[in-house]
Amino acid sequence: MTEPVAALTDFSLSLVRNGIRSQVLEHIDLQIWPGEILGLVGESGSGKSVLALSLLGLLPDTSHPQADGQVTVSGVDMVRASAAELRRVRAEVLGAIFQDPMTSLNPTMRIGRQIGEVTHAEAESVRLLETVGVRDAQLRLRVYPHELSGGLRQRVMAAIAVGALGERREGESNRPGLIVADEPTTALDVTVQAQLLEVLRELRDEFGCSVLLITHDLGVADKIADRLAVLHHGELVEIGQASDVVRNPQHDYTRSLLASRLSLTMPRDERFGGDTHGSEPAVSISDLRRTFLVRRGARWGRGRSREINAVDGVDLDIGQGEALAIVGESGSGKSTLLRIVAGLDKPTSGSVTLAGTGGPQMVFQDAGSSLTPWMTVGETLGERLRPLKVSRAEVRERVTAALAAVDLPPEVAKAHPGELSGGQRQRVVLARATMMPPAVLLCDEPTSALDASLAKSVLALIRDLRARIGMTVLFVTHDLAVARLMGDRIAVMQAGRVVELGPAEQVIAEPREPYTRTLLAAVPEIVGGAVS
Amino acid sequence: MTPILVPRGRLRPVSLGGARLTRPTAWVVVGLLALVTLVSVFARQLAPYDPIQPVGPINLPPLSHGHLLGTDGIGRDLLSRTLIGIQASWLSALVVVAIGLLIGGTIGLIAGATGGWVDSILLMRLTDLFLALPGALVAIAIVAALGSGLVNTLIGVSLVWWPYYARIVRGETKALAARPHVEAARLSGVGRSRIVTRHLLPGVVPTAVVSASLDIGNVVLLLAALSFLGLGQRAPAPELGADTARALSQLLSQWWVPGIPGITVLLLSLLANVGGDAIRNLIRVRR
Repeated sequence: MTEPVAALTDFSLSLVRNGIRSQVLEHIDLQIWPGEILGLVGESGSGKSVLALSLLGLLPDTSHPQADGQVTVSGVDMVRASAAELRRVRAEVLGAIFQDPMTSLNPTMRIGRQIGEVTHAEAESVRLLETVGVRDAQLRLRVYPHELSGGLRQRVMAAIAVGALGERREGESNRPGLIVADEPTTALDVTVQAQLLEVLRELRDEFGCSVLLITHDLGVADKIADRLAVLHHGELVEIGQASDVVRNPQHDYTRSLLASRLSLTMPRDERFGGDTHGSEPAVSISDLRRTFLVRRGARWGRGRSREINAVDGVDLDIGQGEALAIVGESGSGKSTLLRIVAGLDKPTSGSVTLAGTGGPQMVFQDAGSSLTPWMTVGETLGERLRPLKVSRAEVRERVTAALAAVDLPPEVAKAHPGELSGGQRQRVVLARATMMPPAVLLCDEPTSALDASLAKSVLALIRDLRARIGMTVLFVTHDLAVARLMGDRIAVMQAGRVVELGPAEQVIAEPREPYTRTLLAAVPEIVGGAVS
Repeated sequence: MTPILVPRGRLRPVSLGGARLTRPTAWVVVGLLALVTLVSVFARQLAPYDPIQPVGPINLPPLSHGHLLGTDGIGRDLLSRTLIGIQASWLSALVVVAIGLLIGGTIGLIAGATGGWVDSILLMRLTDLFLALPGALVAIAIVAALGSGLVNTLIGVSLVWWPYYARIVRGETKALAARPHVEAARLSGVGRSRIVTRHLLPGVVPTAVVSASLDIGNVVLLLAALSFLGLGQRAPAPELGADTARALSQLLSQWWVPGIPGITVLLLSLLANVGGDAIRNLIRVRR
């Protein structure tokens, strides 16, 4: 009979946040067996990251954790063990990969030294980096974390996690290790995500270590997890074989999670398609270029500088009332393009012509930081009415109407952005953008920071507002499913150029370009799901 | 008093061993700040005797009958002199810091919000110029040129004090200006001046107020140092630094005569520093 690598036994946990103690995990029973990949899914606030921290023995003292039951990793109680014991377990058994590899790597140390802390030999470091799919590993040892891309940083984290396990392996014990990966691919592009998931699976196959993969994306979990656990408000609502849970969910919450997933096959509104061409374009972009000068190793002005073509000759005409979705991976120039159309950045050459009067409005990726924190929602919305010089009563009335249009109650006008949830904030931003109907609405990944169910409702709202106002929409996203849902046409950008442009369904169903096909292939779709 | 005669840089805020003040303690400290301010405003009414005229036997020790803090070498009441001295130091420090905040804050806000050459050449190089000069020495030079006296001292110190605030406010403004909420406001059609006053300024205020309150202690010390050097008010007027300096020869025989004004300076600057910490804890920066 094998022992689990890690086990939670009737584990409950409460933490203090903002002076209020709240129950975060309730009566969790969960085992992680040697050599298995266990997926843990749940929306934000479900307690999945806290569970990971409990396993790593990293619960912050400042939140005064109070635990019932046990969390054991190779027999050690991770909540109550001494610091020395925790250190030993972490060194021998545990590896961790976090969501943001930039903050979990030391910015002042070269990659080689950071890996060297667990390998103690350069040859071993190189071998590890090669294991996790880093090319030119020898050269990479000399660089600092900020010189690597997000995907490469995550691989370095994986290499360190595995290196720690490898070190233990050379010792006498043969206990299998555990890698705790908390949303390791959330910040990554789909193609990089697919590669990293492959790396995790290979690590399991090669070293026999277990992986706890925490994710909000059921598609990701389905792709590589053996078993899948679903966490909801701190309770484990369902656990089973991954393919069973995904294709034949037993619990209502799992079903709703599956239903809220944005997939490439979800029903799509065709209301607007077709009749947009012929008329004068609402937005006309011609031969647009934007170059950034990047200094490398500048020392007294003698460093080499290099030009980066963020936008490299883009021609696009967007018809009146049309919605164009621009998809691309990070660094493809899609956000720069949008900022130039918004007038927030100037092109190096080329031109953008907007039909009609009044500037475009924009919805930002991070709604929280695009609202002024010390102004109430009412003040923020009211600012848009200032040019009209209307009476206070009318401002109040129109603010209430604008909030109602985005399904928010009038009381929200008195709230500060910090008091609202992420979804509410994005609705406020939408209200600000559309309360004086703009000719053109620019959206920069407005839902990428939201849970799927929230994202879905915000997307529905944008479609709804578009139908009501008849505005032209430019929608930038990295998510092909979102692009298909939101765009009449899709433009695929790569390295500053539009490589493919066509009707949304056609681009998704019959992509012409190899790059588009690569992107599509990397999307973790759930195939053969029995979703109502 | 020696190390602060000519302070080269500013003293760091007092660190209480890394422990943060708890909220009740912080309120007590803020209460003390208010009390000191009240005392300095009403010092004339509170003082039991005329601080300039001899009113009793010479060199009475503290806790003597009728003279709580004793008397000095010519029989003046030390309590009365200290109270009036507190008034001069504390109110002057407040005025200097307020002027510094106003000038420095305005320059920093404009520089940070405008950017470009206005920021890098016009305003910040000017600020650097002032920062590069040893502030206390320049203040001494200015006061010496203008002639000693309270108003001249305030002018001299204020002239060298604002660049510090310009730096702080500019940095803070630049960080805020990089946030998307400023771009969002621009796209909403909000004008330049309103962006500065409504979308940038309120975010800068907490940091500026905290730095200013930590800074009052520094100004108290600098003013004391200046008057110690004889650059404050003219002779009979009570001033903490000058009183300490004049009576220094009595330190071994009648310690309280130079000691009481000196200790008062120490306590004032300590209170200002701890007060800055307390205010920092009480202001919740909303971000």
